[in-house]
Amino acid sequence: MKSEGLPEKMSFDPAGAAKALQNIAPKSLSVMEVCGTHTVSIFRSGIRSLLPPGYRLVSGPGCPVCVTDQGEIDTALSLLETGAVLTAYGDMFRVPGASGSLSSKRGEGLDARVATSAMDALLLAEQKPDREVVFLAVGFETTAPATAAMILEARRRKIRNLSVLSFHKRTPPALELLASDQDLSLSGFLLPGHVSVILGHEPFRFLAEEKGIPAVIAGFEPDQILSGLIDLALQQRKGIAKLHSVYGRAVRPEGNPKAREIMDEVFENRSASWRGIGEIPSSGLALREEFAAFDAEKKFSLKPLPGKPHPGCRCGEILTGRITPPECPLFRTHCTPVSPVGPCMVSGEGTCGAYFRFFKTTGGIA
Amino acid sequence: MSTITLGHGSGGRQSREIVDILLDSFRRRGIGPEMEDAALLPGGFAMTTDGFTVSPRKFPGGDIGHLCVCGCVNDLAVRGAAPEFLGLGLIIEEGFPSGELLEYMESAAATCSELGMTLAAGDTKVVPSGAVDGVYFTGSAFGRIRRTLPLQMSNLRPEDVLIVTTSIGRHGAAIAAARFNLSVEGLLSDCAPLWPSLEPLLLLDGLRCMRDCTRGGLGTVLCEWAETTGLHLSIEEMRIPIDFSVRSVCDVLGFDPLYMACEGCAVIATAPSCAQEVIDTLRKSPLCGDAAIIGRITEGEPGGMVSMRTLIGGERLVDMPFGELLPRIC
Repeated sequence: MKSEGLPEKMSFDPAGAAKALQNIAPKSLSVMEVCGTHTVSIFRSGIRSLLPPGYRLVSGPGCPVCVTDQGEIDTALSLLETGAVLTAYGDMFRVPGASGSLSSKRGEGLDARVATSAMDALLLAEQKPDREVVFLAVGFETTAPATAAMILEARRRKIRNLSVLSFHKRTPPALELLASDQDLSLSGFLLPGHVSVILGHEPFRFLAEEKGIPAVIAGFEPDQILSGLIDLALQQRKGIAKLHSVYGRAVRPEGNPKAREIMDEVFENRSASWRGIGEIPSSGLALREEFAAFDAEKKFSLKPLPGKPHPGCRCGEILTGRITPPECPLFRTHCTPVSPVGPCMVSGEGTCGAYFRFFKTTGGIA
Repeated sequence: MSTITLGHGSGGRQSREIVDILLDSFRRRGIGPEMEDAALLPGGFAMTTDGFTVSPRKFPGGDIGHLCVCGCVNDLAVRGAAPEFLGLGLIIEEGFPSGELLEYMESAAATCSELGMTLAAGDTKVVPSGAVDGVYFTGSAFGRIRRTLPLQMSNLRPEDVLIVTTSIGRHGAAIAAARFNLSVEGLLSDCAPLWPSLEPLLLLDGLRCMRDCTRGGLGTVLCEWAETTGLHLSIEEMRIPIDFSVRSVCDVLGFDPLYMACEGCAVIATAPSCAQEVIDTLRKSPLCGDAAIIGRITEGEPGGMVSMRTLIGGERLVDMPFGELLPRIC
């Protein structure tokens, strides 16, 4: 890498960046930030309050908790009722299913435990050979390789009391759906940095090349997000659509082939149900036949349960950027972080939760 | 609310709701307490009581015995009272190693001795294996008020300056790191008695109110002040002292340092005229070298809420945390 000519220390001037945005594309910009981590960083750093009027940031379906279908939660709850130990990422605990949540089931004495990694389940299975341990695997291409690695390790160690309930989802098919949606009229995508670390540039090229929508891969610090927005604004002004990356220090163009290899060895694509969006073909990851012994769906003969979301809940429209949380009639009235109706309010990365915590529509703080 | 959840114990909004429900029977009879860290009693005395269930019981920077004394002492200190007497209740699980228990008694006694406190009362209960996890401590502290003008939330005024006595979130981060097996160099709980560090401040007439930031952290205390007074509190992210190690743990685990528990940090509101004197006085204490002005109270909008100017110059709300952040933090 050429370092000549670069200043010793890059200084970052957010106010200048906001002004630059205004100068580049003075009218309007409608950008979808796909990843929940972006959503939270945008709120936490107050980026919205620095944006020129007419700039719209739309939160996309990038929070793994939020897109987990209610039927999937119900399947997990039914598994818990069998007496198995269920380990899951902490965010999943308060997501309401039809008959409660992991948190409320734990309160009733069923054995649901918070895990910080897939490996926690493997270690637990070894410690408790007389119990069936199930890992509730959610998340995108960022967490799926860790689940796959855990399954390979479990096979190596010949662990028999461990299985995985895989609700992993793939990012590109969801983006394809959103990019094809004429109603959204997006002027750009801010693409998830972490997912790109694994997938690289290739799976996102179609956004610019086939759909004609500019896209920028960005990291999660405020300077990264503002750089991404400036790039998208510049592309709009020039009337071009390209895939760029401002996250070169973490994302290689080819991604992480090793992680993808592990993922491919263990998983195969399948149709998956996304909360509020519905069925998206080949957007989910199921365990391949040779790993059937670790597949909780097969091991416990689980049938996929149809999701029956709350009739007033508009999480689906929020996840696809059609409305903002304050436009949902349940927001702040029936649906709050203490008693969430929809998953977008539960998760720390959910759009509604972020709006609730950081954003006051009346009172001048944007 | 049909059952109690871990969210009710997190120190955030749900904790406040459950406390209100629990106190209802007392309040209806007109015999409920004020919602401050310690009670100011007739005759110039102050008292407080607190339970300790921390897991792990030994953590970098302290243990449950030391924590129990500090927690009680700090509740008195922020109300301007000198700690004098301690009451100590133990609930011990059958089979608990007595050697470990004696270690905690030793560290509790050492902390009391440093502060000139006497153990005045105590109780010991043993319950069958599985009925509690190891040992739980309950402490009560009693002492004399050292200031005529009471320190309380109703003193808060627009223009008051907000100060923290040290860098925030170290206890929560140390416990979280221990719980999730993260090895973080230099990360210690801030668990320490705020007395006598706060004592010289009691001479300042402009001192309005002090709070011990425990569960729920700095953010929760500020939200309580805003909601109770209806005033707007405005803070600046750049001015809040946060150690690098605390930021690291928060980044890895997805926590916000504003909500991480402290056990040796107070937030202080003072009239602008004596803000600098508060800072100068605090910085003379070895525990308060990082004391800093972090913002002020305003008459602005939105009332009853806290806003923060972010590092990049944006503006956002700071709300109380929800749900279970990290159970058994203290």
